[in-house]
Amino acid sequence: MSVLEVRNLTVEFAQRDGSRLRAVDNVSFELRAGETLALVGESGSGKSTVARALSQLLTPSGGQVMLRGQPAGQRGRALRRYRSDVQMVFQDPFASLNPSFPVEHHIRRPLRISGHPRAGLDQKIDQLLEAVNLAPPRVMAGKYPHELSGGQRQRVAIARALAPEPAVMLADEPVSMLDVSIRLEIMNLLDALKRDRNLALLYITHDLATARHFSARIMVMYRGEIVEQGPVDEVILNPAHPYTQLLESAVPHAAADRAQVAAQRHERLRQRKAASAASAAEGGEIAANTGCRFRARCPHAMEICATPPPDFDVQSGHTARCWLHNRAPSAAPAAEDLASPHVRELSAEPAFLQAISKEKN
Amino acid sequence: MNPAPDTGGPRGAAADVVLSAEHVSVEYAGTAPTRAVRDVSLELRRGEVLGIAGESGCGKSTLAYALARLLRPPARLSGGTIRFHGRDRDQPIDIMALDAAALRRFRWSKVSMVFQSAMNALNPVISLRKQFGDIFAEHVPEMDAAGRDQRSREMLEMVGISPDRVRSFPHELSGGMRQRVVIAMALALQPEIVIMDEPTTALDVVVQQEILDEIERLREEIGFSIVFITHDLSLLLDISDRLAVMYAGEIVECGPTEQVAARPAHPYTYALLHSFPELRDERRQLKGVPGTPPDLRAPISGCAFAPRCAFAFEPCTTLDPRLRRPATLAGPAGSRTVACHLHDPELRPGGPPAEIARSGERTVFALTSREDR
Repeated sequence: MSVLEVRNLTVEFAQRDGSRLRAVDNVSFELRAGETLALVGESGSGKSTVARALSQLLTPSGGQVMLRGQPAGQRGRALRRYRSDVQMVFQDPFASLNPSFPVEHHIRRPLRISGHPRAGLDQKIDQLLEAVNLAPPRVMAGKYPHELSGGQRQRVAIARALAPEPAVMLADEPVSMLDVSIRLEIMNLLDALKRDRNLALLYITHDLATARHFSARIMVMYRGEIVEQGPVDEVILNPAHPYTQLLESAVPHAAADRAQVAAQRHERLRQRKAASAASAAEGGEIAANTGCRFRARCPHAMEICATPPPDFDVQSGHTARCWLHNRAPSAAPAAEDLASPHVRELSAEPAFLQAISKEKN
Repeated sequence: MNPAPDTGGPRGAAADVVLSAEHVSVEYAGTAPTRAVRDVSLELRRGEVLGIAGESGCGKSTLAYALARLLRPPARLSGGTIRFHGRDRDQPIDIMALDAAALRRFRWSKVSMVFQSAMNALNPVISLRKQFGDIFAEHVPEMDAAGRDQRSREMLEMVGISPDRVRSFPHELSGGMRQRVVIAMALALQPEIVIMDEPTTALDVVVQQEILDEIERLREEIGFSIVFITHDLSLLLDISDRLAVMYAGEIVECGPTEQVAARPAHPYTYALLHSFPELRDERRQLKGVPGTPPDLRAPISGCAFAPRCAFAFEPCTTLDPRLRRPATLAGPAGSRTVACHLHDPELRPGGPPAEIARSGERTVFALTSREDR
């Protein structure tokens, strides 16, 4: 069931020279109850801006957000109600808790603001602390943030987000500041809470492995656009967009042997050198905001990529915003337009798809 | 003190070693001193990448600072020796014995460091040219301004940044470029050892891979040794030749990366290896390492990892395990060491438990598969 629906969300920031930077460009998706949707992409791709717009920490420049079919409240009581339904967990638990107040304060406030009666507050706080495995709750409630480890602090932040009994939780890189050894505990906790409370969870991360292991669907964001989205195994094991392929290939390969790793490294260095030589030869004239935004870095770039690609279906429920997946060549510009020789060999779609499937085997 | 200062190096191959640390201990002063590094011995071989893994607070960074003699009060080296075996000299240099002037000459030209946060390692108010210039002015006083500018440009070009960027200030560069600049600075005097403390931790995967590729290329071209410190074990599996795992200020396991990854001998290594999901593997329930490292201000009796260890048995709470070469591990003699009673034939005649003794292939340990998400 769709809880939160986002349609054509656009966020622009004014820049010093008067122009506007479009950080999020026409992004649409829905969050479903009891399901985790992962949003991945590199730093600066607009992931966090999406979360901040959804939690109404900043005002979108365009688009609609619907909560249970109703437009999101914009001000006053309606905004308060929206905010208690849509809660956020921030990246840095060292910065997101107030150092001069004990744990209890951080949980009491959202309870009071969302209208919990004074009676029974302490029991409610204890329940929430127990729900995030902070035991014994009465002792933990009296502690100050500096007395807690990073993992414990993030548990407090999660308890705080749960306090207003939200339907949607936006987790913005909830574990990237934590040690690898405790990341899984926090992810398992979020996963269990999502299941027990039927939460719709947006998991924002740049870590593809946890995205795959803890979500059902995934969206890949590149420079403000969703360039690929679909079921998580489908997208990660068979990435369709060259950017997703790049992300996937950049994850360290624990199983590979050293010689193989070295060979792959040399190949990447060679390709990167060739790519930078090529872009230098072209005088770096690929303008940033025309056509496909990835084309300056894309190994498969062709002339048609100067036209912005629409979303193409790769499989049912799996789309990629890339001309390589255009299965109706007649709708695309005529073949002569792609006639430059070095482009032709790269752009032939069947060969490309063969190459991908070969790599997979 | 442990008997043999050994982390798995073939004996008698001393010429191969560029840095040797013996029984190094570091304390942070306080009413109860924090014993952040406890009796650590290791060898860095010429041209290798030695990975040091462990959680926050295990003493990794403190050890790195000790190796470069960069500790500042309240930290102090409370014991041990660190020797540098230069390429061009027969006698090793005792780093701890250097006086202030000699230390200034030695540091950066022989052992340099890439610090954790590139944002903080660069001075925000002076240009890159000036920051490179400082290094050359200090260490190569005969070089004139034009020469320094020329070298600075070369260094930037070497790490894949346009030489014209010498005019830039740190805030004008992306995080990845800043980290490249910091690496270029560490290599400016062609040191024999570069200590890298979490060099890619704040970067996303694509940039991280570019930086790692660049580090490997430079190492092949220039030929220096690297001590690579990170809490991200998956990264070390990719980049390091040998791996040392630290826990509570001690090295608990050391050996060739491939062997350690394939068959972890210490339960802590085992737990770390199982605490991150593998991107392409079957999905399954993973657990992480419950609990936290011990307080290093308090005395530790027995094995420091015992309270968190799934395989702890009676001697673990009383006897301090020593780093030794266990007979239970196959492979070339002495290539692997571990500090764990599970491998002590006297305490545990039956050998280590099946999980530790058998192959460490991750699939062997698949726990319950997850039906619903």
